[in-house]
Amino acid sequence: MSKDSPQKALLIVALTAMICSTLVSAAVVMLRPVQMNNQLLERSRNIMQLTGLLPAGEVPDDEEMLALFKSLDTRVIEISSGRFEHEIDPHTFDKRRAVNDPELGLRIPPDLDVASMGRRSRYAPVYLVWNGDELDRLILPVRGSGMWSMLYGYIAVEDDLSTIAGMSFYEQNETPGLGDQITHEHWLEHWRGRRIFDDHWNVMFRVSEDTVAAGSEAVLYEVDALSGATVTANAVTNLMHYWFGPHGYGPFIETLREQPPTPAGAGS
Amino acid sequence: MSIQQTFSDPLIKENPVTLHVLGICSALAITNSVTSSLIMSVALTTVLVISNMAISLVRHHLPSSVRLIVQITIIASAVTVIDQFLKAYMPDAARTLSVYISLIVTNCIVLGRAEACAMKSGMGVSIMDALGNGLGYSLVLIFVSTIRELMGNGTLMGFRILPLAHEGGWFQENALFLLAPSAFFIIGVMVWGIRSWKPEQKEPADFKPLPMPSEENR
Repeated sequence: MSKDSPQKALLIVALTAMICSTLVSAAVVMLRPVQMNNQLLERSRNIMQLTGLLPAGEVPDDEEMLALFKSLDTRVIEISSGRFEHEIDPHTFDKRRAVNDPELGLRIPPDLDVASMGRRSRYAPVYLVWNGDELDRLILPVRGSGMWSMLYGYIAVEDDLSTIAGMSFYEQNETPGLGDQITHEHWLEHWRGRRIFDDHWNVMFRVSEDTVAAGSEAVLYEVDALSGATVTANAVTNLMHYWFGPHGYGPFIETLREQPPTPAGAGS
Repeated sequence: MSIQQTFSDPLIKENPVTLHVLGICSALAITNSVTSSLIMSVALTTVLVISNMAISLVRHHLPSSVRLIVQITIIASAVTVIDQFLKAYMPDAARTLSVYISLIVTNCIVLGRAEACAMKSGMGVSIMDALGNGLGYSLVLIFVSTIRELMGNGTLMGFRILPLAHEGGWFQENALFLLAPSAFFIIGVMVWGIRSWKPEQKEPADFKPLPMPSEENR
């Protein structure tokens, strides 16, 4: 068989494809458990730092972090009805995959799609932090289109369901040095104590156009502008308005107001 | 050419980035932090060594009609495996570098060395060539990222070097250095510097500009 014959070419291509695909598949399969564990750990860190349950000043190691996260009261809600959905296991529910799933996801009507997401999952995992029998904090996942890509974050609200206890963005691709300030602690700390809703449960929270003056009415609902990152700032305002509006967690917040939840195990 | 030269020439004399102007995409994209640059450098060098080694091994059996397909398959497999390893054991780095690790497949340095060296040379030479080119690329990345991270953030590998003005220090950071265009300027100045130091790298002019037409003839 000569080096340049078609048979030889086919043989070489087939052999290369087989050997390479075996190597790649082996690597993927063998490393999958480690990667899944990393993802879980990452999510645990992001959520646990918003619960206020972590001991101050020390970071628990990976094992402790996972144990703490697993002990957290995690539930799935159906977003539109605002009710808990007990059929879905919150620890295996994949909210990203659900977005494009015909059963689990839905198209957001364009006039309501202020955060430019196109589609969202019908269900969302929520995390409840208890202080005895009283709800202490509620942690909700949020997302929205940023300057270059989707912003993903978690927001923690206090027991009044309006005061922000903490915010973190765990995935973003905003402009370095400008929009990526949304991940900086010195900006996020301004969120603490701000309110999402006014007394009539209208969404008032927004990222201001400039520095919020102390003592003004705005100080209740607004955080300082991000200098040089108007698009990112507007994106953050929009995602808050979507997720706390009637098409987002609005119905869920209403359910919780009318019928305060009880800790898991106490029946709900 | 001696084996030492195979290794040392690509460092500056035949540097893949500053002389051949290859691998610019990642050199612009990920050099805003020294840590990312180091990981990228190691990843690219590893891919280069694996691909040069594998291609040199099978070079006598590669029909010329399908050689590019086979080369790219080998390169892409090496990149995917390394990407998976990073995701498993360095998840933070994998997240920062995101798509740029998978884009090593299209990095012209890798295919360039496969064609220019591994297809024609034995295993030893191919490995030295891969190490040399990987290191040459790494030198550029580390140089550019040191300037960018220091000027843009006042840090090196995340450690504070220059105290920032708004945190009570004196250094006013320049966000331009965190954006991709700054890498263009820095690499441009590097190319200029190296070619002034080694004039043999200068390329002959492609054309001569026409003389300016005089006032009356315009």
